[in-house]
Amino acid sequence: MEDKDILEKFANPDSRNLAFNQLIRKYQQKIYWHIRKMVIDHDDADDLTQEVFIKVWKNLENFRQDAQLYTWLYRIATNECLTFLSSKRKKFFLPINDVAAELTEKIDSSPHIDGDEIQLKLQKALLRLPDKQRLVFNMKYYDELKYEEISEILGTSVGALKASYHHAVKKIEEFIKQD
Amino acid sequence: MKNDFKLSDLPKRNIYEVPDKYFDRLPAQIMERTAGAGYSPAPWSAAAWKPLRMALAPLVLLLVVGVVYFTQLRDQSKEQAIHLATVADDDIMDYLSTYAVLETGDFAELSVTSEQEMTADFLNVSATAAEEELEYYQIETTDF
Repeated sequence: MEDKDILEKFANPDSRNLAFNQLIRKYQQKIYWHIRKMVIDHDDADDLTQEVFIKVWKNLENFRQDAQLYTWLYRIATNECLTFLSSKRKKFFLPINDVAAELTEKIDSSPHIDGDEIQLKLQKALLRLPDKQRLVFNMKYYDELKYEEISEILGTSVGALKASYHHAVKKIEEFIKQD
Repeated sequence: MKNDFKLSDLPKRNIYEVPDKYFDRLPAQIMERTAGAGYSPAPWSAAAWKPLRMALAPLVLLLVVGVVYFTQLRDQSKEQAIHLATVADDDIMDYLSTYAVLETGDFAELSVTSEQEMTADFLNVSATAAEEELEYYQIETTDF
């Protein structure tokens, strides 16, 4: 179903629940995986995904249709991830590297992760990047979004995003070459 | 690890997994929470506020500029009044007798304040002398 149809149905109180159910089914995987790659742990990703859709439910009426629905959803999910990681650091007084170390440990121990050595190493290399650079990398490399779309989601210029992605790739390659 | 490693050589793969049927259950879990979260549609006032906000912005700016302008103007007149208060009465009288030119409006004001016997003070002559002068110049019949 097209976003436009979902939004029209959502505006009608009689079909609001049905429309929102369709919206969840259409976007749940994209949103979940976007969050999961940032927070690594499935339970955290599950909580945040639900929070994202609750916020969407509360604010969909105010959604301005001059933006695309999925970029709006990505933006809410991105903000949730950044807030979660930031609060994690504040809560436990952890520096950036310690949060990365904690997430790296989850890569090694989580039952819901299955990859060969090089894939695991790639994920650990990603955790060494600053949060926003990791977001840019994930959206470009895994989600294959256009720079213009990422720009709309993050509110950053296309030029800055290209530079950020280029530096991220270099850092990752350097990290993997180290062993 | 190879020293010539390139990310582009690595096949893209999602190594993360979810529990069985997770995505089948997730919509129901979220819908259950939305029932508890309630739904509050935007009130009509919120919808009307959006276009009004654009129209009101220049008006608010104009109001601020106006308030600032009149506040400054009031401060200036206060300062002038304070400066004038520091001038001695004799100096003011000297200045007026040297430079002031009486106009018909001044006479009109004098008639209003006549009950307060200010004529003599204002013109710096006795009331009798002033009346004689008026009779001499026949000012009442003069067409101003």
